[in-house]
Amino acid sequence: MLSQALDEEGGRAQSGMAGEKRREQPLARRSAWRLAGLLAWSILVPFLLFCLLFELLPVVITIQGSLTNGGTGGLSLAGYQRLLAQASNLRAFQNSVALSLVTALIGGLLGAVAAYGLASLRQSWLRNLLISFCSIAANFAGVPLAFAFVATLGVTGFVTVALRSWLHLDLYALGFSIYQFWGLVLVYVYFQLPLMILVTLPAFTGLRPEWREAAINLGASPAGYWWRVALPILFPSLVAGTMLLFANSFGAFATAYALAQGNINLVPILIDFLVNGNVTVDFGLGDALAVGMMGLLLAVVALYTTMLRRASRWQGR
Amino acid sequence: MRSLFRPRHRKPGQDVGQPSQHLANEGGLLPARLALALALLYLLIPLAATLVFGLSGSHGWGDLSSLGAVFGDPDFWQTLLTSLGLAAGTTVLVILLLTPTVYQVHLRLPQVQPLLEALALLPFAVPPIVLGTGLLQEYNGAATNSPLVDLLSLGLVPLLSNVFPLLDLPLLLICAYVIVALPFAYRAIDNSLRAVDVRVLTEAAASLGAGWWRTLLLVILPNIWPGILTAALLTFSTVMGELTLASLFNTYTFPIYLNMTGQNDPHRAALLAVLSFLLTLLCVLGMVPATRPRTGGGRAALPGQIEGAGPR
Repeated sequence: MLSQALDEEGGRAQSGMAGEKRREQPLARRSAWRLAGLLAWSILVPFLLFCLLFELLPVVITIQGSLTNGGTGGLSLAGYQRLLAQASNLRAFQNSVALSLVTALIGGLLGAVAAYGLASLRQSWLRNLLISFCSIAANFAGVPLAFAFVATLGVTGFVTVALRSWLHLDLYALGFSIYQFWGLVLVYVYFQLPLMILVTLPAFTGLRPEWREAAINLGASPAGYWWRVALPILFPSLVAGTMLLFANSFGAFATAYALAQGNINLVPILIDFLVNGNVTVDFGLGDALAVGMMGLLLAVVALYTTMLRRASRWQGR
Repeated sequence: MRSLFRPRHRKPGQDVGQPSQHLANEGGLLPARLALALALLYLLIPLAATLVFGLSGSHGWGDLSSLGAVFGDPDFWQTLLTSLGLAAGTTVLVILLLTPTVYQVHLRLPQVQPLLEALALLPFAVPPIVLGTGLLQEYNGAATNSPLVDLLSLGLVPLLSNVFPLLDLPLLLICAYVIVALPFAYRAIDNSLRAVDVRVLTEAAASLGAGWWRTLLLVILPNIWPGILTAALLTFSTVMGELTLASLFNTYTFPIYLNMTGQNDPHRAALLAVLSFLLTLLCVLGMVPATRPRTGGGRAALPGQIEGAGPR
């Protein structure tokens, strides 16, 4: 993605230079132009240098670390071999992917339909109020969210106790636990759902009435309009939103950590255990896991941008 | 700071999102509204339950002893102060780094736009736990000897590895937070710059004799302040709740205090969760005046276009 951007930029710079040559300006003016160009670039130096130092080089050193033998410093695939040799590492990836997929699908589906409901509201004050509320909920995550769910659905949580005393329904006797997979799914959906509503709302408000009228005039039923016209237009936005949710929960650490204190086997928790451990620090395996995470997320982000670009065609951006 | 050039005025009655009366006679409205109600219920129940649970205390309803215990704890105030400092530092750095850069790219170097987009998108693929792992290895001095990184950084990494420990400030943590906040801070500032005609404003200012910095400070900034405010508040609220990097870098911040105290006492944890919610609420409410789009078809920083903010 990055290299593509760089290529594109290089290509444009080259064509710009060719145009300059064709005009055959006097030498003095050309060098003045070049000086102005350098000055224009100099404004970008602090930001680009910052990104190099604190965004790109950490990635480089992680990839390098995953390919280096910790003892000798030579090239080695030991990190990846250890990743594949231990069943618990693969299990962590399996858990993380399953958790992200399930929460992205639940949050994506319910969130998209709810976004349509929100877009259809006539009262603008109500719509704005609900949008603000969704922004708050999407930002309410991490440790406080974990605690809120313990207070709600923990062993002595408000809803757990209420269900037990009013409906004689004991969730924990039925095998539910907020500290295990499906409990974690409920917690993650709390920040996934409002995020999906927020990111797909523009797509729903962008559906033009003319499209629907044209479809109906041409004999489409309401279901036919949805299936043949609206959904194909919305599809890229919905996929992009779901991909964003997937990346969002795949990298999430604080919520799961505060809830289960590291008792659930997810990749971010495992990496933290390896590099933040009090006993021993194992950067070799940690780097290999981190590269695995980045590889998967890079594919997700690539699909996200592709879909977003396709969606922007219909939104007149 | 009032601008001389304020060509676009907000039209009264123009709201977030387009008016969507045409949707009213479409099919499938009832299930959609039911889904919306269900979603809102799902978001409200834990909040209400947490409030009741926190206020009910360990000795029954209305027992506020845990609230007193929270406010009486010196660690509470100390970590809150640390986090406020970190959040303020990060916010200032994000705005200082991004605003001139994005303005210049809009004005003179549109060919750099794809690079900025890529840099602002990369943190989605590099979650905080991975970024922290990389930074820990990058700046731990001689322990990780990587000639490649030393070379690529023009010798700055070895230099900074020696400088960071000398200063008694969590500078590296602030730099890491800047990267974490980059995607949505960039999006907010970029959107607000798209909504104004940067070129016309700059040329008008230049014809009156203003230089580059003067134009940015006195002309552009007053026109894009809603975007800057949104970026600042999103950054602030993210840093206030961030746990992963602070724990990796051994900095005793507010979320770490929250996690440590809350594990022993669920009632106190619920109260702290309510306090954190109020903090988030304040930050988002601060954005509300900034989220109303200007006229002229430009894209203002709608909350719906702020993607993936917040600590996870």
